[in-house]
Amino acid sequence: MKFSDETLRAYLEGNADAAEAAAIEAAIETDLALEQRLMTLDPLAPVVQSVFENIPADAPQLELPQPMQVSTADASGGLWRLMAVAASVAVVAVSATFWATRPEPMGWAEQAAIYQSLYSPDTIESLDSSPVALDAQFARAEAQLGRSLNRDTLETLPGLELKRAQVLSFKGKPLIQVVFADDQGQPLAFCVIRQGEGAPAKDVKLAAISGVATATWAQDGYGYMLIGSSEQTDLDQQLNILTTTFAG
Amino acid sequence: MSVLAPRAQSVKSKHTQVEIYSMSPDISSEQAVRGAIQTHSKRVWRFGLALSGASDVADDLLQSTCLRALERHHQVTSYDRLDSWLMTICRSIWLNEVRARSVRKAQALSVTPEAELVATGPDSETNIFAAEVFTQVMELPEAQRETVMLVFVEGYSYREAAALLEVPIGTIMSRLSNARQKLKNVMQHDAADTVRRSGK
Repeated sequence: MKFSDETLRAYLEGNADAAEAAAIEAAIETDLALEQRLMTLDPLAPVVQSVFENIPADAPQLELPQPMQVSTADASGGLWRLMAVAASVAVVAVSATFWATRPEPMGWAEQAAIYQSLYSPDTIESLDSSPVALDAQFARAEAQLGRSLNRDTLETLPGLELKRAQVLSFKGKPLIQVVFADDQGQPLAFCVIRQGEGAPAKDVKLAAISGVATATWAQDGYGYMLIGSSEQTDLDQQLNILTTTFAG
Repeated sequence: MSVLAPRAQSVKSKHTQVEIYSMSPDISSEQAVRGAIQTHSKRVWRFGLALSGASDVADDLLQSTCLRALERHHQVTSYDRLDSWLMTICRSIWLNEVRARSVRKAQALSVTPEAELVATGPDSETNIFAAEVFTQVMELPEAQRETVMLVFVEGYSYREAAALLEVPIGTIMSRLSNARQKLKNVMQHDAADTVRRSGK
């Protein structure tokens, strides 16, 4: 199909009708010339390019290992070979160090704990915890999660006031963070992530991560985590209730 | 001839088939990769910025990308598109090793795009506009941002960007359409400014 420049411009400006847009997008798959025309006509590309082309202003700083190849012209005898071996050992050493010290990808629980550890009483003090707000938050969270959050239980946890349910995401999986305030106004959280069927069940594990006490467990494709406000937070009482309620 | 000079060769390993055929016999793959790093360091850094939204992360991504590329220089199959190879490595490091940390940090601390990176010229209106475009682009969702960067800024074709990002070409086009819609306002604003300045 042949498209006029006018049609292509309308497409680029978001003014083409749906059928035209679909036809252009389908034709692009196989039509290199059309792709080129469309790119040339795009009014936005040169503007964005002019803004970004000089960023960064200076060539970025790099620390690279020395080259391991030596000139081929007069490479003779053992000295060159020795140097090459030394250089390659250096490269391997640098690479190995880099490899060994590369950051391990963090798990969801670790990240959730770190995130939660940034909460202070001020963070949760101003949250809208009206029934209307909580209704909407729980509806959204449960829809994302595909299971009930047993709000009745969460609202009656001893010593805790329910403040908010928030939808987060970890590697594409819905992660729900339910925040509470204890009687001192300190923030605690209960997190649930949908890990998918076949995720291994795990018994309750206690750990202090990023300065906060945590308890994690997993069952039937969901991971759970209770997070205290400090390393000293005693999670026992709530944990008993939650592990019973969220047993599957 | 020295035993130290690698020559054009075809190596088949268990995981990767590496065929080096278009190379000059006097250039080793390592030299080619070093050359590509020098030539493309700015664009890799820029791509790192587009991915992460933070210049310090872009610094780290570039450094890691270059080291990784040098480790893997023997995997190079063609010297034609070492730039997209570097971009692919950069993105893979971002996705697999850096993203989770950085995104979490950004969410928690509400990092704003670093508009001060935009070079300042003599014309303050142009500067304001450039900073606005920069901010708007950096505030696009990540998928749109990386696509805009590859196509609009680095000049990759839709299909090249599709290959690099491992998505269908239709996805590239819809990401760009969505980005255009969001960037429209700032552009219209600019058009109005230009008209005003030229006294029409």
